[in-house]
Amino acid sequence: MNPPALQIRTGSRSRPWLRSELLLLGVLIVESLVFARTGTHFATVGNALEILRLSVEIGLLAVVMTPVILTGGIDLSVGSLLGLCAVCFGKLWRDGGLAWPVAALATLGIGGMAGGLNAVLITRLRLPPLIVTLGSLSLFRGLAEAITRGVDNFTGFPPSFLMWGQGYFGGVIPAQAPLGIAVMIGVGLLVHATSLGRSLRAIGFSPEGARYAGVPVGRQITVVYLLSGVAAALAALVYVARVGQAKADAGTGYELLAITAVVLGGTSIFGGTGSVFGTVLGVATLAVLRNGLQLSDQPGELAGILTGVFLLTVLAGEMAFKKYSARRVASGMLQTSTASSKPASS
Amino acid sequence: MKRYRRELSVTACLSALLLVLAVVAPAFFGRQQLLTTLTAAAPVLVAACGMTLVILTRQIDISIGSQFALCSVAAGLMAKAGLPMPLVVLGAVAGGAALGAFNGWLVAGLELPSIVVTLATFVTWRETLRWSREGEFVKDLADGFQWWGLGQGRGQAVILMGALGVFLIGVIFLKKVGAGRFFYAVGSDREAARLAGIRPAAVTFGAFVILGALVGVAAVLNAVRFADVDPKTGTGLEMQVIAAVVVGGVAISGGRGTLWGVLVGVLLLACIAPALVFLKLPPQWEKAIQGAIILLAVAADGEKGKSS
Repeated sequence: MNPPALQIRTGSRSRPWLRSELLLLGVLIVESLVFARTGTHFATVGNALEILRLSVEIGLLAVVMTPVILTGGIDLSVGSLLGLCAVCFGKLWRDGGLAWPVAALATLGIGGMAGGLNAVLITRLRLPPLIVTLGSLSLFRGLAEAITRGVDNFTGFPPSFLMWGQGYFGGVIPAQAPLGIAVMIGVGLLVHATSLGRSLRAIGFSPEGARYAGVPVGRQITVVYLLSGVAAALAALVYVARVGQAKADAGTGYELLAITAVVLGGTSIFGGTGSVFGTVLGVATLAVLRNGLQLSDQPGELAGILTGVFLLTVLAGEMAFKKYSARRVASGMLQTSTASSKPASS
Repeated sequence: MKRYRRELSVTACLSALLLVLAVVAPAFFGRQQLLTTLTAAAPVLVAACGMTLVILTRQIDISIGSQFALCSVAAGLMAKAGLPMPLVVLGAVAGGAALGAFNGWLVAGLELPSIVVTLATFVTWRETLRWSREGEFVKDLADGFQWWGLGQGRGQAVILMGALGVFLIGVIFLKKVGAGRFFYAVGSDREAARLAGIRPAAVTFGAFVILGALVGVAAVLNAVRFADVDPKTGTGLEMQVIAAVVVGGVAISGGRGTLWGVLVGVLLLACIAPALVFLKLPPQWEKAIQGAIILLAVAADGEKGKSS
């Protein structure tokens, strides 16, 4: 009826995530420009690749956390699971006498099983993911501590394994980078180019609605948490290869970093909207911040403080924009109704 | 009886654990050991009372570990500056309430999701503290600080009485006072509460402020057990407290739960570490067992929800 009003409504609803991604891209560019001036050797190809090398583990967790949060869920257990998988890998390789590729495969299986445990509790028993994964956060970290008795530290891995965290292809490209990029593209396609991805959004908006629309809600959610478990195992392998040791406290607090990156990237914590691309930007913003501050001789704590401030600013900005556009839609609808009622009365 | 099924089943778990201990390791019930276990649990109980209010209103606060550390260091610095203990307690409580009010403003005023807000403040406060203290302990405290200057035995008694006092006030407040019922109302149905004349935003804000103030109390109750203040104190406290509240039967979806259940939850989780020592089991299993208990407790909830 009233074209402008309709335009406003479709305009603000068609791609709600694009706005926060553009904002974040702007932050990333400004941040990089500032650090290019203040940091020694910040704006070099070598440093860019180093940032990439160091952010693969968080990147893996965050990218796979995106579909989890899209369904309106959350996985707090990934950091602990990373620790458990790292310790299991070390145990299988050193004490189990397995060759490292076999141990790595088994570790991925353990990650999948752990993700499956979360999935079963969430889908079969219909429990809130926040509480289930809070419990498994404790359980996985506890098992890691129990296996190592709190002190055991696995080291001395073979060079052919360490190469995957410390080596460079052609002397330039970090060995774990292709792995991280492949997972990123894979999950991106899964979320944005398949019916599974679309159904995840539907579940995030309304699980009941999705069920009535014929989406197998339980199965889709199971897939998402299984993926999260396997990604944590993969991140554990990369972590062990990069650091060269596996201790029970590996990955402490990583779940919070991953969630921060996802939310910064514009994914709604209530589910339904968000993108993997946004998450990648989120990871990059955090990684550049940490690296840039370090190269500018600033204290490392500043990175954490700025991360928190960023997160709150982005959220508050988004909420203000949402309220503003809701008001515009409301006033637009009011105009439409008065305009349409006019001819009737005259 | 059916209404308190969860409280009763957790109590049964705790009783079973205590019974096993009574038979196998009666030393667990030695006066000194019991006092040590209970004084270690006292700060968790105080914080859990506040967390119960927040979870009842359907919110969550994961920043309390950082608030706890800030309050502890602040209390230590105030004591070092020569302030009398009552003023130190008051200062820590006021500081905690201010930190809670900041969370409350963001959640209730700006309507931001509490889990992300408190995730952000969790990181920000912890890193600010690390930056300003650089890991340095607050040392050479006034004589009146450790055990309130009363010696260990009477100091422990004061800690326990303080925690018990907070708990009993909480029980009466939530059960018998109109304002206490508001938290249940807002948590079970925000819109219905609003139509009944309650201001949901004000109640939510209040829950965060009370939690902050109680974290301040908990920080002092914990700090006086030691000779100096560790700026890393309170790491992981949020998980401990949320776990105890959930095991105690407070629904994460808001509006349901009692403080008596929370008390039993706190005691059950607090007994595990010393129980492992006395049962001659490897103490590294503590966290794994705690995690298993949380999962079992919520799984029982799920089964119950399915059958009804």
